Amino acid sequence: MAGGISGLRRGAERLGASLSAKMTLFYAGLFALAAALILLGAQTGISAYAERMVASEMAAGAKVFDRVTTMRYAQLGDAGRVLAADFGFREAAATGDAPTIASALDSLKGRLDLDQAFFVDIDGNLTGFAGALPAGEAETLRAALEGGADRGVLRIGDLRFNAAAAPVEAPMTIGWVVFGNALDGGEMAALSKLSAIDLAPRIVPASDLPADMALGTASEIDASGERMLVQASPIASFRSDDPQALLLEYSLTHALAQYAPMLWSLLICGIVGVMMAAAGSWLLAKRITRPIRALDAAARRVAQGDYAQVAVETRDELGTLADSFNRMVDDIGERERQITHMALHDGLTGLANRTLLREHLAMTVARPSIDRKQALFCLDLDNFKVVNDTLGHPTGDALLCEIARRLSDFAGDGFVARLGGDEFALVIDDSQRPLDRIAHELIQTVASPCIVNGHRIVPGTSVGISILGADGIDSVTLVKNADLALYRAKHDGRGGYRFFEAEMDAEAQKRRQMELDLHDAIAEGQLSLMFQPLFDLNQGRVSAFEALLRWHHPTRGLVSPVDFIPLAEDTGLIIPIGEWVIREACRVAKGWPDHVRVAVNVSPVQFRNPGLNTVILQALSETGLPPNRLELEITESLFIDNAETTLASLHSLRALGVRVALDDFGTGYSSLSYLRSFPFDKIKIDRSFIIDLLNSEGATAIIKSITTLAEALGMETTAEGVESAGQMDILREQGCSHIQGYYFSKPVTEDAVAAMLDGGAEARRAANG
Amino acid sequence: MKTVLAIVAASFAALPVQAGNVGIRVVDAGGKPVADAVVTIHPASGVPAGPIRFPWANQVIQKNIAFNPGTLIVPVGATVTFPNQDKVRHHVYSFSKAAKFEIKLFGRDESRSYTFRTPGAVALGCNIHDSMSGFIKVVDTPFAAKTNATGGTLVEGVTGGKAKLTVWHPRLRAKDNEAVFDLDVPASGEIAKRIQIVLR
Repeated sequence: MAGGISGLRRGAERLGASLSAKMTLFYAGLFALAAALILLGAQTGISAYAERMVASEMAAGAKVFDRVTTMRYAQLGDAGRVLAADFGFREAAATGDAPTIASALDSLKGRLDLDQAFFVDIDGNLTGFAGALPAGEAETLRAALEGGADRGVLRIGDLRFNAAAAPVEAPMTIGWVVFGNALDGGEMAALSKLSAIDLAPRIVPASDLPADMALGTASEIDASGERMLVQASPIASFRSDDPQALLLEYSLTHALAQYAPMLWSLLICGIVGVMMAAAGSWLLAKRITRPIRALDAAARRVAQGDYAQVAVETRDELGTLADSFNRMVDDIGERERQITHMALHDGLTGLANRTLLREHLAMTVARPSIDRKQALFCLDLDNFKVVNDTLGHPTGDALLCEIARRLSDFAGDGFVARLGGDEFALVIDDSQRPLDRIAHELIQTVASPCIVNGHRIVPGTSVGISILGADGIDSVTLVKNADLALYRAKHDGRGGYRFFEAEMDAEAQKRRQMELDLHDAIAEGQLSLMFQPLFDLNQGRVSAFEALLRWHHPTRGLVSPVDFIPLAEDTGLIIPIGEWVIREACRVAKGWPDHVRVAVNVSPVQFRNPGLNTVILQALSETGLPPNRLELEITESLFIDNAETTLASLHSLRALGVRVALDDFGTGYSSLSYLRSFPFDKIKIDRSFIIDLLNSEGATAIIKSITTLAEALGMETTAEGVESAGQMDILREQGCSHIQGYYFSKPVTEDAVAAMLDGGAEARRAANG
Repeated sequence: MKTVLAIVAASFAALPVQAGNVGIRVVDAGGKPVADAVVTIHPASGVPAGPIRFPWANQVIQKNIAFNPGTLIVPVGATVTFPNQDKVRHHVYSFSKAAKFEIKLFGRDESRSYTFRTPGAVALGCNIHDSMSGFIKVVDTPFAAKTNATGGTLVEGVTGGKAKLTVWHPRLRAKDNEAVFDLDVPASGEIAKRIQIVLR
């Protein structure tokens, strides 16, 4: 019940709010107002017209009465004068010959169709009067005649006459002839017929009229609910002491009633017109709003993602709107497709991106195949950064496009995505060939040489593989596992492939834990420095200590730098750690004798950080350690990436007086060009040469050549990993200036350094012995 | 010649033994003088015997479509002539009881006459010209006169003693257009009488 009512209300609101309803109401209302005004105007006009018409009829009626009576008086007067002038009649009148007078009057009465013809003599005696004369009337009449009355309405008793008189003179006035016609109902009815409407003319004594009634003009009175228009006009009265008035009256109510049918038909026409206007405007509004509703519906469908078109039916503004709407929908659809494509595809190569890969994986995993395996292949390009840096980004991009093309061709029905940078991923099943074969061929496909922008490039890649379902059922896990496999493949040597194994995940977990612990290590002071002395063979004393980092893990105990330094380099933690090492080394070395330096290993990762120089300068200034007592040990690998920036940084440090030593010399490329490109203060000969020293003749020759070269370039040499007196002797023979190793001393704590320096003599002896 | 005779007759009449003069002034209700009113006096002792003569001619001339004089006093038995001095003709008539007569169409320089044998007022009219109106007052007393433009007149040599004074005027509102008053005429000398009448 309540729902029904609220539904009705909602319907009513919708109706009230709709454009069609508004337009219909507005136009119907407008028309109704106009019709009402017309009706009102017609009624007012008709009323005024009817009143005016009746009034003018009355004026005309009064005038007609006047005219008619005037004519009648003239006729009567003329007849009277003719008789009065007759010599014989005058004689009869003068001599009082009543029978003659009466007969003459009677004869005229018949001839002229008169109602009254009589003679009044100068003394008031009447002769020939028809009917009985009330007492006293004769004298009044005589007086009136003597007063000059000669025409007008003559009232004698209850009777009225239109009368005219003529004096009889012989030659003095001896009496009057009076002719009259009765003013009875018939006469008045005849008079009434002269008007277009029945004005019901009556003659009344003026004294009977209301005192305030204006004569000669029509006025409206209310006669028992009926509107009457009444006009009293003064008319000629025979006796001036008895004025008479013509009373005309007409019912206005009756007059207006005649127009009622007209007003009714006007009203009906108005109502029909309002209905027609309502229906017409409703239809028009419907016509106008139909395309608007269609547009509305289409807009809602577009909002839901359905690119609906609206049929263009008309050529008017709404048609144009529909057309524009359709074009807009098309454009939005096109743009949305572009945006979707951009969101899911790589702009450079047109391959799917990581997001789309994720979706594809999710979809594929959700529909597992029974008879074949699907695998995710992750790969990245070896040394792609070098290509970008040396040949420029356009060439790098072109190489990526070439690789993308090759991968697409290779994948066939499979799925190819670019994950960003030089990373790609493929999803391929084993329906054509085994997965390991696919991996092998994939590496070969990528590795075939190509010419890009005129440069010949031999790309290289490693591949990590995770199997859908077995190695994960969600895209995140699958990609992570493939990445782990790739990491391991690269670690194993470039150009290989690895399938994901569960241990890789465990290892990764371990690395992750260690990364977290390392983070805490800096904050909780678990890191410490050990110092291994470098012995100057020529001067026979300790010339420097190499600072070596130690991590005392609260549960795992002492962690090897070999385990955590690469991790620190990978995660960037080497930056804060290295900074701490430099400050700590400088602080400790400050307490040493002036000739004892401190040597600090600096990772290439640290050099890539632009803040390194600042850190070194701050450490020196804060501790007050002279720059020439700080020796930075760097490796050749530093020069592989960004050689120029590194050189500039090294030169600026060296300009301050900081010493630079080339560590691990003899391993890796050992390019002699490095020696030429930078004036190292010292070369540290790798321990592998020292181990062979006692067993191989060639080793001695190599040491000899290195020391000779260093001497020629003005550099010191330090032999690392010296463990025996024999080794030391050979090194001394071959011209090596410094030694370092267990033979002389293991790395010792800060406190032990002080003791060692105090016992410098003993050490010297040991060296010399 | 006739004028001379009339003067002689008048001088005879003016020789009574005991007589007074009566001055009369006639005014209307509004006090305005009434001209051409005829005043006659009949002494209680009777009028003197003998023929009555007045010092004016017994004639009414029709001239310029009018009777002249408009009012003429004549004694009973007098013959009045009606000479026509107009170029048109006239038809003089009277319907009065005192003298009902008719003198049909008579032309220029023609004269008709009529003898009035009864005292009274005679209204003269012309049947051709309605506007013409004249009066002849036939009297049986020598003491008669008509008022002038100021309404006044003087009747001389009236026999002294009581008398009836009669005023006639064609428009006087009364029977026969007459009003009668009592009058004491002095044996000699003169009285003045102001008479007020009502006119139609």
